[in-house]
Amino acid sequence: MNENDLFKEMTQAIVEGDRNAAAALARKAVDQNLDLHEVVEKGYIPGIQKVGDLWERGDYFLPELITSAESMKAAMAVLRPAMERAKIADLSRGRVVIGTIEGDIHDIGKNLVASMLAANGFEVKDLGADVKLERFLQSAQDVKADFICLSALLTTTMLGQRRFMELLKERGLRPQFKVLVGGAPVNQKWADSIGADGYAENALAAVKLAKSLGRKG
Amino acid sequence: MNPTVKILPQGRSIRVRKNIVLIDALQEAGVNPISFCNKQGLCGKCFVEILKGKPPKPDTREKEFLARKRLPGNFRLACLYRITGDLTVRIPEAARLSLMPVLKHGYRRTILPDPAVRKVVFAPFRPPDLASPLSLSDQIRAYFPRLGKKASPALLKDLAALQDDPSGKATAIVYDGTEILDFEAADTAEQNFGLAVDIGTTTLVAELVNLNTGKTIEAATALNGQSRFGADVISRITTVFQDPLKSEALRTAVLDSLQAMVEGMLEKHHIPARHVYEAVIAGNTAMNHLFLGSPVKTLAVSPYHAVFSALPPLPASETGLRMNPRGKVYVAPNIKSFVGGDIAAGLAAIDLARQKGDFLFIDLGTNGEIVLKRGRQFTATSTAAGPAFEGMNISHGMLAVPGAVYKAEDADGLKLMTIGNRPALGICGTGLIDLVSLFLDRGAISRQGRITGREKKIGVGPDLFLSQKDVREVQLAMAAIKTGIRLLLGLHKLAVTDLDGIYVAGAFGNYLNIPNSMKLGLLPRLERKKIMFVGNSSLAGAKALLVSRQERVRCERLAQRIRHVSLATDAAFQKTFIGALEFGAWT
Repeated sequence: MNENDLFKEMTQAIVEGDRNAAAALARKAVDQNLDLHEVVEKGYIPGIQKVGDLWERGDYFLPELITSAESMKAAMAVLRPAMERAKIADLSRGRVVIGTIEGDIHDIGKNLVASMLAANGFEVKDLGADVKLERFLQSAQDVKADFICLSALLTTTMLGQRRFMELLKERGLRPQFKVLVGGAPVNQKWADSIGADGYAENALAAVKLAKSLGRKG
Repeated sequence: MNPTVKILPQGRSIRVRKNIVLIDALQEAGVNPISFCNKQGLCGKCFVEILKGKPPKPDTREKEFLARKRLPGNFRLACLYRITGDLTVRIPEAARLSLMPVLKHGYRRTILPDPAVRKVVFAPFRPPDLASPLSLSDQIRAYFPRLGKKASPALLKDLAALQDDPSGKATAIVYDGTEILDFEAADTAEQNFGLAVDIGTTTLVAELVNLNTGKTIEAATALNGQSRFGADVISRITTVFQDPLKSEALRTAVLDSLQAMVEGMLEKHHIPARHVYEAVIAGNTAMNHLFLGSPVKTLAVSPYHAVFSALPPLPASETGLRMNPRGKVYVAPNIKSFVGGDIAAGLAAIDLARQKGDFLFIDLGTNGEIVLKRGRQFTATSTAAGPAFEGMNISHGMLAVPGAVYKAEDADGLKLMTIGNRPALGICGTGLIDLVSLFLDRGAISRQGRITGREKKIGVGPDLFLSQKDVREVQLAMAAIKTGIRLLLGLHKLAVTDLDGIYVAGAFGNYLNIPNSMKLGLLPRLERKKIMFVGNSSLAGAKALLVSRQERVRCERLAQRIRHVSLATDAAFQKTFIGALEFGAWT
């Protein structure tokens, strides 16, 4: 099979959310000593981009998004160790610390954002739900995060996002991180009013936003 | 100079402060445009037409709404519009909040009336004996040896007035056999009334009940006046969260709505408010708290606990409800933060505790509560179904009020039925279920919820359509309920086929098409006769608690022993939920 056909199959595996195929194709690429950087860029990334397009057109919904993100994860689980062995440069588009804010236990939306960011080449540390503000801060410092993503699903708990922004400023850490906020009651107006760096309505928008903001210089 | 706003169609003009937001100005003027989102520009319901004055550029979301609703360019959301100069606005009918009837369905079982309030007629006062004049209070004690001693001084003060009545009779109002609430001159035994009230987040429903017979004299419906503080429970809690002083405003809002409704019923039947001695209130936990002015802060922040569950009957004067001030207000016991007194009352209405076998009770609302009875064990949970079935977040969604498509059939083309046979204004929950199910059959919507046509939009009627996003909202709402049912059954290792029956409560009433609900997956597939509609079971339950002391005791006991599980913290939640998004019958 020539490389281009293989790339097409990889793209297809991601679009269809076929986890086994995605992983098997990744193993094939490793066995055949292909340029893994190219494999990711030409085989898998176009797949996840296509998924994004399908989501935006309304053809794909949460289940499709999740199976595709999982397929991406399965492929990367095969490729990443091989790339490390071969000392191929870090693919990371940036480091992300993400979680649902304290007082709030809802986390499906946050999980989706986390997996889509990961599928798109971000290194994601997911702190889970009901996360204390201090813990966000500590983890972000520990992993030297580029982005801190705060999710809140209730209008009550969304106030925690503002407190976090205040906390960042108090500690003089504001310039170190880009803060993205999301969740059902959150909107751009709110993000602006608390001085966050961005707001995204859904997982795909979050990916776009993080890409456009780029990692810190 | 303060700008003037002319409001059409009323034709009234108001002076407003500069830079005030239009919706606030309208509300201050007593005009209430619909807002489901706490005036955040999110729900797209408060569009008004700017006839004169310069509208600012619409923001992105507003532009989307304008395009989606195909509104002319001079429409703006009242909640985003800051008034800078003179203005003429027209409030479209669809955006106006007005008192409207809600579909009502009864489910009644027979109960023996055993009200807490009893009237005891007596011929009290002997002519005083000059030799040894017995005080009036001593005479009362002679009639009521146990209760008389506890009669309050306030009551005794009124005794003197009783002896002047020409009938020579008086009536004591006895509560629960243990307390004298009040005395009345003459024989008023026939005048014994109570109120059963369901405080819904969106609507209030009340019945005026003859306590002696247990019969309903009159029923009424009103919108919950708290709606202007936000459509859903959480946004109202947030209102108080941000400003604790608002708690009183919320309490007054619901009280005023209730009061107006009750006064209407009383006037119609020429019943004075002082002859209403007890009211039973059934609402969700937050509504119960807000009605009493209790703090709600903890209800919306993990671990989500309530201030009270069961309460003893409260003096009516403390609640502010205009009835006999010495009467009582009883609040149906809350089960947990997200499963409230309305559900406890609902279970009482159908007497689930006494039925043999395994049953599900589902209240289909914004917060879909589900109770599983397995043998003697009860487990309850709530699911965030969202307000899609109440018509919110749906392009042409609306409440079940006149003009709403509530039923749709495929009979040589699409056949729509509207409430009140009016021209179709929008689509309510049951209509939405019929339509999606029908389009699923036609292949216009895939099982994954994708609109298969290129246009991503399905025409329903003149100016009515379903968008791809609408279908997604239905999927989310359905999946929430389905996930709740699956996890509860799973927890008890029960299969759908093991169930002896499913009770479906909620405003949907009898219009919910069962085959269609099963086809979508909102309800599991089960023999038709095992699915029972109970309509507004909260109201029916409130009435049961009003007319029967025994029902009250049993309801409190049941509420105590219902186990509550939180779905969001269940490890299987996400997987189940995502799997449940696909349309299709399931068992």
